[in-house]
Amino acid sequence: MSRNVAIVGAAAIPCGRHQKAPGDRVQVLEHEVLAGVVLDAVRDAGVSKDDVDALFFTHPRPYTRQLYFGTFLASYLRLPCDGVLVEVVADGMTGGLAFDQAAETVRSGRAEVALALGINLETAVSSSEHMDRSMRATGDVEFHAPFGFIPISWYAMDAMRYLYEFNAKREDLAMVAVKNRRHASLNPLAQYRKSVTLEEVLAQRMIVEPLGLFEVPPRSDGAACVVVASEEAARSLGRPYVLLRGRGFHHEGVHQVSDVPGDMISFVSVQRAGKAAFEEARIGAADVDLAEIYAPCTIVEVLVSEALGLAKRGQGAKAAAAGETSLGGRIPICTSGGLLARGHPPFVTPLYSFVEIAEQLRHRAGARQVGNARLGLATCELGNHNAALIHVFEARP
Amino acid sequence: MKLAVQKMPGRRPFPPQESAFTARFWQALGEGELLATRCRECARLTFPPKPLCPHCWCREVEWAPLSGRGVIYSHTTVHAAPALFAQEAPYRLCIVDLDEGLRLAARLVDAGSGVGIGARVEFVVLRYEDGPLFAARPLDAR
Repeated sequence: MSRNVAIVGAAAIPCGRHQKAPGDRVQVLEHEVLAGVVLDAVRDAGVSKDDVDALFFTHPRPYTRQLYFGTFLASYLRLPCDGVLVEVVADGMTGGLAFDQAAETVRSGRAEVALALGINLETAVSSSEHMDRSMRATGDVEFHAPFGFIPISWYAMDAMRYLYEFNAKREDLAMVAVKNRRHASLNPLAQYRKSVTLEEVLAQRMIVEPLGLFEVPPRSDGAACVVVASEEAARSLGRPYVLLRGRGFHHEGVHQVSDVPGDMISFVSVQRAGKAAFEEARIGAADVDLAEIYAPCTIVEVLVSEALGLAKRGQGAKAAAAGETSLGGRIPICTSGGLLARGHPPFVTPLYSFVEIAEQLRHRAGARQVGNARLGLATCELGNHNAALIHVFEARP
Repeated sequence: MKLAVQKMPGRRPFPPQESAFTARFWQALGEGELLATRCRECARLTFPPKPLCPHCWCREVEWAPLSGRGVIYSHTTVHAAPALFAQEAPYRLCIVDLDEGLRLAARLVDAGSGVGIGARVEFVVLRYEDGPLFAARPLDAR
């Protein structure tokens, strides 16, 4: 069986610092929070508890006390299912693959309605302590971690290379952060809703050169749930829904850095996944009305926009600085505020992209609504963009 | 060609684990030699060294000494460091394209702020109390 799949509902808590310090008497418990989000999402979709056939959880952080979290939550919600119940682990792409697997399960006919959901609490752990762990993820644990390569150090080297190769302006790169803060100021789910100026972005302390504090991801907690259904089921609900039109994936068989010298900043994974997604959707980059790009740093948004063909090679930063990727511009990118401003609770971050796509393509995004938005795409990645997962969506009012 | 050795204070903050296979690499590094593996079938070099060729999946590999010289492809300075590396921050990292056509990532040491992309570098051994690591430094730093 193969059929069309749609997003019919979505819900999330605002990104922010929700986790309590270990010693605090009253804690924020992951299962309580996520259970509430599930109820919100299911209500938003207009489906009932009995309709849900499959659950795709993002694997929780190692800091989460409750293990076997997925099955525990199904019990917490008394939610039996005949499809499947899985915790997905796929590095930064985890939330994206949870959605992807939910969509495939519905497409195959194993479920009519599936949930892609998860919670990521981690902000009670300090950044330096957190990095003792994350540096073991984004590199060879014997040949990179001993030098202190941290996740964003790779993006910083992308930025250095970009500035060098294209003679790009440092200020243009920083404008991506200014733009995303402005978008986030219009998003109730965003962690940083105060606009900032270019001067403020450039004045921040250095984190990984050339990127300062506002150009690298914040620490965030978050929880989200996306309701996926067959198009048939979606139509029967009698509400606007969001049709999945195309999908592409590519992993380049490289973890972080290839020992074969090549162009590290052309993001081959995005080129290939994007091409596959556009072909399946039978559209081109120019047809897209908005893009939610998984970009932990300013540079990543620029490089993905170029690899997707939303901007010309070497011109992505300039395009952002010129307002082309702002709300009201030629191709609004990260209307949610993106990872930099909406927030980045890593394992569930891609779910927030689908939440934004669901809002925009059901024309419910309020002050940040892209006028007449019909086609949107969401990207996510892992490593130094060694893999990309891209979904193209269409509004069905 | 032997690599220069720099004495480092204390122990490696996050020492690499050795396997029966990679022990050879770390021992050679301690003696001033930077090794890769080369496939006996397709002749391609691989770094980090592996007991198989990732290109053609052949198990017949041999150790191959590297010149340790190359050009910086990109670099950064880490100011916000993991707790383990707090003592060493800020520190510089780089990606180097070796003359043999192999790309390595490592620390960048002894480099002034003007040393960046395109600079010629050589690898050196950082000799800590508990074992070696490697780093790149500008070729004219000697």
